[in-house]
Order: sequence, then C-alpha cells, then structure tokens
Amino acid sequence: MKGKILNAKDLLTIREEYNRFKEGFSWTVTICSGAGCVSSKAGQVKEQFMKELEKHNLQDKVLIKVTGCMGLCDAGPLLLIAPENVLYCYLTPEMMPQLVAEHFINGKIVEEFTYIEPQTEKRIPYIKDIPFFQGQEKIVLKNCGELDFNSLEEYITRDGFLALDKALHEMSPEQVIEEVAKSGLRGRGGGGFPTGTKWKLAAKNESDQKYIICNADEGDPGAFMDRSLLEGDPFNIIEGMMIAGYAIGATQGYVYVRAEYPIAIERLQAAIEKARASGLLGQRVLGSNFDFDLEIRIGAGAFVCGEETALIASVEGQRGEPTQKPPYPSDSGLHGKPTVINNVETLGNITTIILKGAEKFREYGTEKSPGTKVFALAGDIHNTGLVEVPLGTTLGEILFQIGGGIPHGKRFKVAQTGGPSGGCITGNNLNVPVDYESLAELGAIMGSGGLICMDQDTCMVDMARYFMDFVQEESCGKCLACRVGTKRMLEILERITQGKGQEGDVELLIELAETIKDTALCGLGQTAPNPVLSTIRSFRDEYDQHIRNDYCQAGVCGDLFISPCENSCPAHINVPGYIALIAHGRPIDAYNLIRQENPLPSVCGRICTHPCESKCRRGQLDEAIAIRDLKRYAADEAFKLEDPLSDPVLPKKDKSVGIIGSGPAGLTCAYYLAKLGYDVTIYEKHEIPGGVLAYGIPEYRLPLDVLAKEIETIKRVGVKIKTNVEIGKDVSFQKLKDIHDSIFISSGTNVSLLAGIPGEDLPGVHPGLDFLRQQDDFTHEDMNGVIAVIGGGNTAIDAARVSLRKGAKEVHMFYRRTRKDMPAHPREIDETLEEGIFLHELWEPIEILGTDRVTGIRLQKMKPIGFANDGRNKVGKVPGETMTFLADRVIVAVSQHTELYYTRPYQFDLSDNDTFVVNEDTQMTNVEGVFAGGDVVRGSYVAIYAIADGKKAAQSIDMYLGGTGELYKGDAIEIPMDINETELEEHERFPMDFLPPEVRKDNFQEVAYRYHRLNAMAEAMRCLRCDYRI
Amino acid sequence: MAQTESCHVDNISEEEKYRLLEQVIKDYQYNEDNLIQILHYAQSIFGFLALPTQKFIAETMNLPFSKVSGVVTFYSFFNTVPKGRHTISVCLGTACYVKGGKKIIEKLNDLLGIDVGQTTEDLRYSIEIKRCIGACGLAPAISIDDNIHKRVNPARLQSILDQYE
Repeated sequence: MKGKILNAKDLLTIREEYNRFKEGFSWTVTICSGAGCVSSKAGQVKEQFMKELEKHNLQDKVLIKVTGCMGLCDAGPLLLIAPENVLYCYLTPEMMPQLVAEHFINGKIVEEFTYIEPQTEKRIPYIKDIPFFQGQEKIVLKNCGELDFNSLEEYITRDGFLALDKALHEMSPEQVIEEVAKSGLRGRGGGGFPTGTKWKLAAKNESDQKYIICNADEGDPGAFMDRSLLEGDPFNIIEGMMIAGYAIGATQGYVYVRAEYPIAIERLQAAIEKARASGLLGQRVLGSNFDFDLEIRIGAGAFVCGEETALIASVEGQRGEPTQKPPYPSDSGLHGKPTVINNVETLGNITTIILKGAEKFREYGTEKSPGTKVFALAGDIHNTGLVEVPLGTTLGEILFQIGGGIPHGKRFKVAQTGGPSGGCITGNNLNVPVDYESLAELGAIMGSGGLICMDQDTCMVDMARYFMDFVQEESCGKCLACRVGTKRMLEILERITQGKGQEGDVELLIELAETIKDTALCGLGQTAPNPVLSTIRSFRDEYDQHIRNDYCQAGVCGDLFISPCENSCPAHINVPGYIALIAHGRPIDAYNLIRQENPLPSVCGRICTHPCESKCRRGQLDEAIAIRDLKRYAADEAFKLEDPLSDPVLPKKDKSVGIIGSGPAGLTCAYYLAKLGYDVTIYEKHEIPGGVLAYGIPEYRLPLDVLAKEIETIKRVGVKIKTNVEIGKDVSFQKLKDIHDSIFISSGTNVSLLAGIPGEDLPGVHPGLDFLRQQDDFTHEDMNGVIAVIGGGNTAIDAARVSLRKGAKEVHMFYRRTRKDMPAHPREIDETLEEGIFLHELWEPIEILGTDRVTGIRLQKMKPIGFANDGRNKVGKVPGETMTFLADRVIVAVSQHTELYYTRPYQFDLSDNDTFVVNEDTQMTNVEGVFAGGDVVRGSYVAIYAIADGKKAAQSIDMYLGGTGELYKGDAIEIPMDINETELEEHERFPMDFLPPEVRKDNFQEVAYRYHRLNAMAEAMRCLRCDYRI
Repeated sequence: MAQTESCHVDNISEEEKYRLLEQVIKDYQYNEDNLIQILHYAQSIFGFLALPTQKFIAETMNLPFSKVSGVVTFYSFFNTVPKGRHTISVCLGTACYVKGGKKIIEKLNDLLGIDVGQTTEDLRYSIEIKRCIGACGLAPAISIDDNIHKRVNPARLQSILDQYE
C-alpha cells in the first residue's frame, strides 16, 4: 500500500498485502539477531546462509526474517526453519553448506546442529519440545524473536496498531486508564508501582503540555530485557507509548536509552522514522484528534540516570542528579510539566491489555502480581538468555526446568535478583513463587528482571564487595549519605576480602547500611546497602570465616590462600608444591611435603573425593589436574623404597593420649600427637586397623596391603595400636580417662541402618556395612544369583561392585532419587555401570518379600516434586505405581549410625542423630579433656574431613596439655619456582592406567593400577602454578 | 539527523571539524535540552572533548562554560583526554589480581610513563582497567584492542606492546 496509514482499513490492507507476499515462500527462516547472537557473529552466519541458498537457487523459496532475541542466548547463533519448526544452534558460517544441503535439498534434519538438553544430553530438534521454551508464556515478548523488527508491515500483520486504533476510536482516555488499572499491571522496572495509578495521577493534572517518557536506561549489571524489547519489537513500545500519551494527555514522548546500547538506538530510530513516514506518528493519528511524536534521548554512561528525577534532568541536558520527591513527576516532571515515566517492559504490556482486555491479562500471574515478567537469566546456569514466565512461577522452575540447571556438576548457592539494589535468594527458598510480595517477604526484590544464578564457587563477601564497588563508582555524589557512606562500606568490605577484617566490622557494616538507607536522597543510595545486608543475613558465617579464620570457603579472595586447590583441601595440603616437585622428578620430596599436612597419602591418593579438583583453574582451560592420582603416584614411589623414610619425632613428653577408633581421624590425630612427643595408644574394636578404610572400602579401590603399609608409617613414629579391644566391653571408658591425660573419640558411624520397612529381618537381607565387613564369609555359591542393592551412596556402590566380583549373576541398584542426585562419586557411578550393574532411578522400597528367606522387594515409583536446598529434587510417590522385583539377596545401604553406648556413665552433648556436639574451634566435647572428630561428629562423610578433624584435634589436645598447638612437621622442603613462560597448549589429562571392565569385574585387583612415571610428570607439568605470585 | 550515522572525520582539518559541530548544534536548534546528544557528536568528531571544544559549544549555545563542563565531567562516556590508538585493558578480576595484575599495571606505568585512565603523548596507547574478561585460568590477562594476552609476565610486556603500532 502506498501513502500514509490513515485508518484501520489501511492497516487491514497492509496485512492482506503482507500475507499475500508470504504465500510465495516454501520456507520461512528466522535468524536471531538479538545482541548476544550479533556478538557471536550471527551476521556472518546469515551472509553465508544466503550464499548457500543462492548456490542451490533457493533464494526465492526461502523467506528470511531477521528478528530480535529468541531467548536461548547460550545456544546462539540460532536459526529456526518453518514450517517444520526445527531449531538449529551454536551456528558458525562453516556449518551453512551442510545445513542448506541436508535440510533443504535432502529434506533431513541435521541432528548434530540441534539443541542439546543439558541434563539428559539428548538432542531436541523441534523447538516445541525444548523445555526452555515450554515453561514460558510470551506476552511482552510475543513478537520478539518471531518478527522482523524492521518490518512495519509484519508488525501490522500481527495485530500491530489495532490496540492504538481501539483506544483512539472506541475508548476515552479515562477508559484506557481504567482498563490498565483493572489489569493490575505494576511497574516492571523494579518499583512495582501500579501503572494505572501513575497514569491517573498525571491525567488529573491540567497542563498545556504533558510528557510520556520510556525509561530504557537499564543499568543493572546482568539485565538485558529492555534492550531486547527495543531491539526485537520496537513498534510495540512505540504503540504502547502512544496509548499512554493518549490516556494521560501527552502529545510528546521521549525514549531515554543508555548510550551503551547502540543497536537498540539504531533499531528504535529506524522504527520511529518508519512510523513517521507512514503517518502513524505525527498529527491526527489514525484519523483521530490525537497528535503524538516521539524522540530518542541518549544517555552517556550514568547508572543513576535510571532514577526518574535524574533521568528527567538528563533529558533536559543536565547533570543526572536526582531531586527531592515530592514533587513527583506526575505533578511536575520534565520542564516542570506532568510527566509519566514507565519502564520499557511495562509499556510492552499495554498493547495486550488494551487489545485483549484486562481480564485476559489477569489470567496469568497471581492476584496481587498479575501478568508475566521477563527475566534475563545469567551466571552459573546452562540456558543463559531471555525468558518470560507468569508471575508466581517458582524460582526452582525458572532455574532448573527452564534454565537447565547448574553446569559442571556444581551445586546451586544463590540467585541474585535486583542487581546492585537487590538481595539473594538461597536454596531453601527455591519453592517460593516469584512475585512482588513473596520476594519482599524474603528480604529480596523483584528488580528489573536480572536474575543471576551463582554456584558453590561464589564468595558472598566478594559479591557484596563487587556490588558496592559498582554503586560507589556510580554514586552521583550529591548527598553525603551515599557519597561517603558507600565509600566507607566499600573500604570495610575490601579489607575483609583481603584478610584484614576486624571483629566488629560486620556490625559496623550493618550500622552504616541502615543509616544510608534512611538518609540517602534517591533510590540508588537507599538500596545500595541491600546486597550487603542480604548476604550478611544469609551468609554471616562466610563473613566470620574471613575475619576470624582468614578463610574464604569459595576460594575467591586470593589474599587468603596459596591456591584454590590448597584452599579447598580440608587438610590444606600444599598442592601446587607437591605437583611441582613431581614435575621436577622429585616424587619422594612430594610425598614428604604431603605428609606434612596429611599422613595418609596412599589412602587419599586412592579414595579421596578431591574437592581440590573441582576448584582447579586448569579445569577452565581443558581438564582439571589429576591432583588425587598424582598424590597416589608420589606415595607409590615412596613405598617402592627399600628403607623407610626418616620421620623425626620431638623428645618424649610426659603425657599420654588415648584414641578410640583407628579410622582416618584417629590415625591422623595419633600421628601428629606422636610426632610432638606424646605417648599415644589407639584402641581398635576390630581385628584389623583402619576403620572404614579397612572394612568399608573394597580391595579393588584400596588394597589391604597398601593400607597396612600406610598404617606402618603411623606406627613408626611411636603410635601404639591395640586391636580386638572394644572400649565399653574390654576396657571401660572410665579406665581410659584414668590412664590417659586426654582422649580423642573417632569411632565413626560403624553401624549400618536398615530402611525401616517390613521384612528386613528375613535371612538374606544385609545391612551394607556389615556385608562389606563380612564379605569374605560369602562364597561364590552364596552370591550366585540376583542381588538387589538399595541406596545411592558410596557404600551402596561398593556393595554392588563387591557382589559382582563375588559371583553375582546380576546386580541391581535401586535409588529413590535420580542418578544425578546420588551422593556417590560420579566416576564411581560410571565405573559401576561400565561393569554391567543396573541402576533403577526413582524407586523406593516398601517391603521385603519372602517367608523363610527373602524372595524379592516391592518398590514404590517416585517422581520429582520440587526442590530441596541444594537444588536436588525432592521426591514424592507416584500413586498406584509399584513393582515387585525378584532377588536372592538384598543389601540395604541407606544410612549409617554412631554407636556410643561405651561412653557411659558420662553425659555427652549429642545431636539429633546421635553425633557428638563439639566446639568448632577446638573439637572438644562438653566433657573436659575429651575431644572428638571424624564421622562420629559429622555423620557419615568422607575421609579427608576426618583427617582434617584429627589434625585440628591434635593441635587442640597439645594446647590443652600445655603446648603451643603448633604441630611438628619437620624441615621445610624447598619448592621449585621456575615457572615455564612459554605459550600454553590445551591438553586433556595424561591419565593413569585403568583395568578395563571385562578384566576387572570378577576379581579384586586394583582398578586404577598404576600411574606411569612419564604420564605422571607430564600431568604435573600441566599445573598452572596458581601459587606463583609475580 | 539520524543519531547513529558515523562521522568520517579522520582526514579533515580542525576548521572543518568545528564547522561540522556548528551544523550539529544548529540541527538541534541550539536547544539546551539536546546538550548530551551534541556532546556525543562532538566526541565522535574530535575524538575527545578538549576544553576549547567545550568552550566553543558553550559559546555557540549561549550557555555558561561551567554548565557544559559540569555535564561533560558527570557522564563517564565523555573523555576530556584523547584515547590512544590502542587501548590496553588490564584485567583486575579476582584471579588476575591474585596472580599479579597490579604488578602489570606498575610495569606499564614504567614502560609508558602513564597511569590508568591516561594516554601516551604520541597517542599510541591508553590504559584502562577491566573487571573480568573471563580468562581466569590463564591469569594474569590483558587485552589490547580485541586481542587477549594470557599469562602475561611483566618482563614480556614490552614485546607484547611492540606488536601494536
């Protein structure tokens, strides 16, 4: 249609023309040109795509639409092909030839170019099946990612300007305001103020000129909703502003866009010019009496200009300093005239509300927070990008169903909303609905929509410092509270993260925060303390650890540790040190360096859960260093030596210590005390020392002879181990207290618990630990059948793999949650499945069947029903779905318990699950001189923490007995610091040698059987030496 | 006048630049409201907003010089010193900071005689700080123009800088 658009009929004509135009094409290809895809060279992808089409002469059959953000930013550049609606992801120009040839010419979907679902790792070619999109409801984003943002014709085809027409010709300005008020729409910029009310306030003022301003300053780090709206559906915002102008009586509108958004400015300007040229903007809009024009005003890099009075000053060409409110802009705003300032997303809702009606709008969301909200998902989450969900959706749904969960197997820690004005939402609130009221109750805010997900590697103190740093820089300086207050707060936060925190700093931060909140002039200052207050409220312990213990648990505050690996090791082994020694061909020195902090390197080198490797910075490049395997290598080399290594001991002291239990905690405590010269005796109930290391962990992971040799090294410093002595039976606890000056209890969780279901007392049912301990009593005949193992932790895995090796025909594991939520180590689970053991997820046992002997189990099907604190699924029963599984033997490995009868008559403070309550700093119980550590305090946990406890207890016992608490670690070992300067090359691990599954599954040979010297040295050379400081 | 047209101003004289600027101000009706837009244009034309340029704008628009200067110094987009041909961004995110990011800045101070936020006399380099460029495994990192240099040793800085004319 040529000429201006003068009325609704013209709109219809354009729509018909466009639809006719579209008919000629066999395919419609949508190419995402949201900011993320543009930065990922979507332009080049498009060019190459078009070249390929021309090569095959398809250019007239394929309609190409360049659209705004499709939302799935992590997988971009994106391309959607209709009518099949197949989504192609992660595209490069090089992929285009194959794409065009296969999809268009051969009519086949190119599987390897489609979306990979992060949890299942399956390919999903059709966009409708992708969970990321399924959970969303696109109201504001209805056109974004679907229409060509440049095409006024296409916008009109999708009901464009019909809302404006309806408002101008069928509704009075009052009726328009009424409809918006009825809808319950609230300001989407973060304030949540009812939009209808704001419009009413401006409308009732008489004035010769009024203004409508769109706030597109979007300064929050991590927010990109508004820019995507402007870049993807600019006409929608223009139309929304025009309706707003009509409603309040404004004939001039401004869009204040921050200067950092050149793409948004460009596309919006083009849209405005098109609208003007077509007559939609200007005088007598659509044949009515309403005049309206629109201009862009650009910001210049000031976060504070997102505040409405500062924004107005900026539009007037002034310094963006806020002013006192009242007067509010609706009474006196731009140039002193009544002005309404609305956020982009708020305005993006107007066309829907007017065209479809307030009732329809209210079908989404909650009573007090109707409608939807656009969120910008970023941070430690798989599907970073733009999403729109009904208000009231839970945080867990947004993060785990739509967002795809946390990558790299990390745990969820917090979600941050509201940017520098916001607060954090922790794991125990994953089931809270996201709406204005619920978030306020949590002490958080909705904010503009930036939703940053953070995993366990985030330091909350550093995060608070980061936001305060940002606010400090952006503070306009007008009021003292903000200008000076935030600076003082920042100084304190910086000191804390540098290890210079002092007692009282946190209280001072709170005091400053509350004062600033009360006295700052504008929203920037008033909300600046929020991240600090929120993190103090939810993570006070992290602040205390930084200040009192110089410890940053997340391994972020670099001034507090040697390297992230050393920091995360509970025993604080000098990891880069020993790895450097191995790289330099000095494995014995490496062994000795390790033993300064951990006397059980052979053991840990085989079974440690290696928290260090999860923090290894090399992992960001290719693969984490094999820190654990290298430790094992160093220990193996040491054990090859003919003569035992020297292990000096301080002169004998006149005091003796008794230790109950020869597990890792007891052995470690004994070792360090003996080196200090104390007389130490360990009392072990069973025949062989080692505790769980001997009885719980199978041969093929930790051979008994290796364990025995390691225990020899402990005995060599003078530790006496008395086996077959049960405290409480053979010797009373009182006797121990009489003959020793101090006692350390480390008897672990040595009792296997059953599941508490009927039938568990039938012959053929075994508690997990008991089975492992008595495994030699089971013959091949005993085991030759179908074995069922209930549980998902390491004991269950060990029981399953031992059963297999002892001759089981089939081994089936049943776990009540999913594989990804199993507490057992992922590599163990992999090895288990490789060996042919079956894993049944989401089954819970209800009854063991049989009369004289077990014949099988009845199980209940479970399903995920929400989220637990750490993002693991909570599970609930699936009504009516049960199954019967026939088995010859059932091993129940669900949990383990302490056994503390022997401590009578002493009254110890115990937790709800019968573990000792000890002083966090000294490991001492409430009974004078009696200390405890390891699983008997922590509940079933892992060896390296028990070792750390034993070491700490040794220090405390030394202090208790009159010493300084400083352990004797022998002479310092010189660590090479000649760092290789040459360029880094990516290389995955140089691995150990493993026995293949077919070879290993019927015997107890050690699965990880050796580290070849050359591989070990090469692996050690991959270390980035994070301990090195220039 | 479209606000995103790029100005090809590399090879024109100072006089020409001022004439262009005057045209911009005229297009904006000498209206004080448009000061920020005008300053953006002035910066594209001249590369930065030197005092003479600010004075010119103030006179042409009949505004006090302090008003123009006040707006220029408030907004972070406006530079009163020229930017070098090559911007050296030193990452001071946590990992880089720990591995000696600050030592790199000190070395740059020595080699170039300028501090963060400044430009060398010959307009070859400017130094700025970035908060994190995401190359943490290879700290300390710097980026020059769009190129990221990893595991930078201060001793090697000179040879890295020499790559940039």
